[in-house]
Amino acid sequence: MSDLGLYALRLALLAALAGVAAGVFAGRSGRGDLEQVARRAVWVTFAFSALAIGALAWCLATFDFQLKYVSEHCARGMTLPYRLAAVWGGQGGSLLLWVFISLIYASAAAWIHRRGQRLMPWVFAVLLLNATFFLALINFEANPFEKLPPGEVLSDGAGLNPLLQHPLMLIHPVMLYSGFTGFSVPFAFAAAALITGRLGDAWLRATRRWTLVPWFFLSIGILLGGRWAYEVLGWGGYWAWDPVENASFMPWLPATAYLHSVMIQEKRDMLKIWNLVLVGLTYALCLFGTFLTRSGVISSVHSFTNSGWFGYVFLAYVAVAISAYYALLFARRGRLRSTNRLESVVSREASFVLNNWVFMGILAVVFWGTLFPVLSEAARGVKIAVGPRFFNTMAAPLAALLLFLTGVGPLVAWRRASPASLRRQFALPAASGAAAAVAASAALGRSLSLYPLVFWSLGAFVVATIAQEYWRAVRARMRSAGESPLGALATLLRKNQRRYGGYVVHLGVVFILIGISGAAFNDERLENVKPGQKIRVDDYSLEYLTAKPIPQQHYGGAVARLALYRDGEPVAVMAPERRMYWLEQQPASIPSIRSTLREDLYVILTALEADGSATLKIHRNPLVNWIWIGGYTFIFGALLVLWPHPERKPRQAARSEAKPSAVHQARSEPTA
Amino acid sequence: MSKGIQIAVGAAAVALLLGWYAATNLDRIGTFRYYQTLAEFRSASAGAAPARVHGYVAPGSIVRDVGAREIRFAVVNDPPHKGGAGRDALPVVYGSLETPDMFNEGAEVVIEGHLDAGSVFVADNVMAKCPSKFEAKRTEKASF
Repeated sequence: MSDLGLYALRLALLAALAGVAAGVFAGRSGRGDLEQVARRAVWVTFAFSALAIGALAWCLATFDFQLKYVSEHCARGMTLPYRLAAVWGGQGGSLLLWVFISLIYASAAAWIHRRGQRLMPWVFAVLLLNATFFLALINFEANPFEKLPPGEVLSDGAGLNPLLQHPLMLIHPVMLYSGFTGFSVPFAFAAAALITGRLGDAWLRATRRWTLVPWFFLSIGILLGGRWAYEVLGWGGYWAWDPVENASFMPWLPATAYLHSVMIQEKRDMLKIWNLVLVGLTYALCLFGTFLTRSGVISSVHSFTNSGWFGYVFLAYVAVAISAYYALLFARRGRLRSTNRLESVVSREASFVLNNWVFMGILAVVFWGTLFPVLSEAARGVKIAVGPRFFNTMAAPLAALLLFLTGVGPLVAWRRASPASLRRQFALPAASGAAAAVAASAALGRSLSLYPLVFWSLGAFVVATIAQEYWRAVRARMRSAGESPLGALATLLRKNQRRYGGYVVHLGVVFILIGISGAAFNDERLENVKPGQKIRVDDYSLEYLTAKPIPQQHYGGAVARLALYRDGEPVAVMAPERRMYWLEQQPASIPSIRSTLREDLYVILTALEADGSATLKIHRNPLVNWIWIGGYTFIFGALLVLWPHPERKPRQAARSEAKPSAVHQARSEPTA
Repeated sequence: MSKGIQIAVGAAAVALLLGWYAATNLDRIGTFRYYQTLAEFRSASAGAAPARVHGYVAPGSIVRDVGAREIRFAVVNDPPHKGGAGRDALPVVYGSLETPDMFNEGAEVVIEGHLDAGSVFVADNVMAKCPSKFEAKRTEKASF
């Protein structure tokens, strides 16, 4: 089976190379038969990569310890799901997953755009060039099918890093890579448009839709990563600005900025160069993020790999690919200039431009903070750490500004907003924001610090804008079409899913930011208790009952039992664990979490002491649940935007045919 | 004045404001700190100034004092297998019963804190590293 995988990898590389050549020749000559060859090469490469990843999964599932990869990432004690998850537990497998998912996207693009677009040969060439690079790395540098010398084959393996043995880790990496790799498609369309000079509408429509899907997966991946950190790492938080977290967050920022600014290009035919910059930047950061996590350049919780020249090759590839893209963009800049100019600072365009800058500002902060230790080590020989406080301090005001713009953007008119329309649009939301601020101050008094006040007030402001938008649109439909409220709502979501789905996404973001703002009230303490003793935490009390050994499996350790009372009433039994993974010789603290809408009680068993007492770390984390609620809302909203329905296609076609109407539409928009 | 310039001026103002904000805040939150090896720390000894010192936990030196709620251990410059353990060890007091999962005899650690009058290092944070990675016990509180 491992031989099959090995050959599949070799053949995938050959097919990808052949496809690149066919794509380039088809692009230069315009020959349809060569384009067809390139398209089929995409599918063939995909088939071989699927075969390879399937073979690797088979080897892991059947304990083929001849393979170095299997012996390093798998063990007999592991259940089947985790053995399969070990496919992406190490270097070669992760890269294979990368290629495999990117080829799913490429194949889908090859299928969906199978008719008549002059861009396609170049799109295939770019996508397969990308796959070629990764396949070359897998084939020659990090081959998961490498066999151990016969004398070194053992009957059991080293096992998977215990921190990864968690259900969320089965899907988190897949989601993240579905995000990362998916951005290769918009990148390829943009690059193809730049290469051919066909900078009309085709690439724009394609890239916007192809950005939405990976952006959706990346968002889920980031949220799941936070959830995993919260439930597994046992330090009481969900986000630590770890370089690998940052690596997943960085491409999300320009991608989100692009999804906003692309609307300006559609409606007002502006910002074309900027949008191409964002598409390139997004993909550059995806590659760079993969580089950060895979090369071990920054040692961190997630980086399980340390490699030599692998890193340099990777960095060189990122540099060359991105430089070529920006050089092309620079060469074509003359043909991308817009005839329209910004007419007023108080307009939707201006608010979107500002929104883009804020995203770029956050990106600059995260990028600088992530790379600072590396740069300082390179320049001065000492590694200087940048702690979470740097990121929080710098990002919080930017996030507040962004939240403000989330409310403002949709309400300001295109081109130029009149004072009267501003009053009409902002009276209610502004009053809601002010009311929330007053209510919060009254309820919490002196314990309320600046940031929660700002975020809650802005949150109420944004929620009010969304409610107002929905209410006005529903009422208009009820009057004009005589629909019931629910019927009107359904029509809205069907007819303008991007706009009204987008509002739901915004609502999710508000919830997430409110959840994060709860961190200002976080409270933690370390307690040492004997059996029978109680700890009081506000209106909770925790009684330490006993500790028991964990039933023997591939890890051992102890689980403490704690009775949780609230206002004297028993509410739950909490059971934090202190595990020892025998094979990996790695301890892990698994927290026990009691979660309500108001707050989480998060208990870690730090140690069982020699005198029979237990040392417990207790975190009280207000509002954390809202992050996950916001996450679900976000996903739901994004699904509303993405949901395919038959009315969408003809509308878009009509729009692109009659281009001047875009401006007309833009004028009539704000009152909708 | 064109709208473009108006916006550029606005952006410059925001950027300046942020720069000023960063400059005034970063000192206070003390984000940037150096790693020093124990030997470097010894030779550069700057009294009671905050320091971040890298070393290895001397085997057999860890004492968990539950009553006093502190952990005492010693840090040496070289890993135990290189010999010389125990000589020139830096005694450390960490006022907590909580250590990272990887903290153990012989573990590679980075300790944050300062030297007190009796030449004992008072640590307010201990990070431990297993061969390939650091695992910080992240006690730093979010600042908002």
